[in-house]
Amino acid sequence: MEYVSPEGLRLDGRRPTEMRQLRAEVGVVAKADGSASFEMGNTKVIAAVYGPREVQNKGQQMDDQALVRCEYSMANFSTGDRMRKPKGDRRSTEISLVIRQTMEACILTHLMPRSQIDIFVQVLQADGGTRSACINAATLALADAGIPMRDLVTSCSAGYLNNIPLLDLNYVEDSAGGPDVTVGILPKLDKVTLLQMDAKLPIDIFENVMQLAIEGCKAVANYIREILLENTKKLEFCRGV
Amino acid sequence: MKVNKEETRGELVTPGEVLGKSAELKAGKGAYVSPHNKTVYASLTGFRTLTYPLPDSPDTRPTVDVIGHKAHGAVPEIGAIVIARVTKVMARMASADIMCVGPKSVREKFSGIIRQQDVRATEIDKVDMHSSFRPGDIVRALVLSLGDARAYHLSTAKNELGVVSAESAAGATMVPISWTEMQCPLTGQIEQRKVAKIGA
Repeated sequence: MEYVSPEGLRLDGRRPTEMRQLRAEVGVVAKADGSASFEMGNTKVIAAVYGPREVQNKGQQMDDQALVRCEYSMANFSTGDRMRKPKGDRRSTEISLVIRQTMEACILTHLMPRSQIDIFVQVLQADGGTRSACINAATLALADAGIPMRDLVTSCSAGYLNNIPLLDLNYVEDSAGGPDVTVGILPKLDKVTLLQMDAKLPIDIFENVMQLAIEGCKAVANYIREILLENTKKLEFCRGV
Repeated sequence: MKVNKEETRGELVTPGEVLGKSAELKAGKGAYVSPHNKTVYASLTGFRTLTYPLPDSPDTRPTVDVIGHKAHGAVPEIGAIVIARVTKVMARMASADIMCVGPKSVREKFSGIIRQQDVRATEIDKVDMHSSFRPGDIVRALVLSLGDARAYHLSTAKNELGVVSAESAAGATMVPISWTEMQCPLTGQIEQRKVAKIGA
């Protein structure tokens, strides 16, 4: 099957190095300490952050740092066919662990000992790249909650189909069976916190695909920064400053 | 609290942005120093403010803080005056739920304990807990220490600390008449409490 036409257009009309449209909103869940919704094309995700608050399970309390918990779940209506078990299955547990480790690396947990930070991410619409959208939404929600972080964590995926590196795969391209590289970086500190790939790739091609994904992450970072600055200006305006 | 000479409010920053070098700036709230390249980065979204230290302090570097917009709930510190509601009164101590720290109310309740020896400053071994507090009383107390995992340790051993408001058996708010007694306005009954001295 042809995923990139001879003119260089993908199935949805994008160029190989073009990302899908990004849209984000901060403060969508009023009860949470911080929340955000993030859309990458048709993939739509909501993240809510509660914390730092008292640890509920005293056995897991850590005396020198905060406990970070993360739960990823997909809504029943998020995929084409109604899903039977939205959380607790292996894929959700794995993605919860991945998001938790990624965010824990960037939160300054030593500033909040004996407390707990909960990150809940829910996928409302799944069209490929849900892992990346969840990490981006979680970053926005943590920044909205005022939790101190080393840097924003942004994530993007890239693949390799028809011998062309493609940025930000959607569901059809992802199911094609080609490699799918998901990268999470700290853009200003230039560090990689997440690198996952399935399928096989020769190493030199892998370097190109990873570099492409990192460029995508930097573009997401600029967008997230703009959203945060706009949100803060709006809040300052509401406060009458 | 140190009064600093000058404060300037600057630009809007997001987490990860460079605020300066650690040789020129000290990292305050909302900022952190990265050890490998000795740079100060922001950790919150907000406005960058610089506070210059006093001229005679040994460190001449100004402190950079990032003031975020989210106000976190207050947390009791040692030496803070708190308002608490007494929940249990036992032979040698009373338990109280801390509701306000200074002028700010807390997001979630903290537990506090007032021990028999911390109720008042004089004759501390002859204190009768039931004549000092009753469940439901609102007390103003001082945080002595962070205590153990269960509760903060509080003290009411000063004139201006103690029961601020209490309800009598009849259900009316009592009026203080001395530092050990409060009277119910409805029935005239006098009840014993360790009363706080409010006012000048």
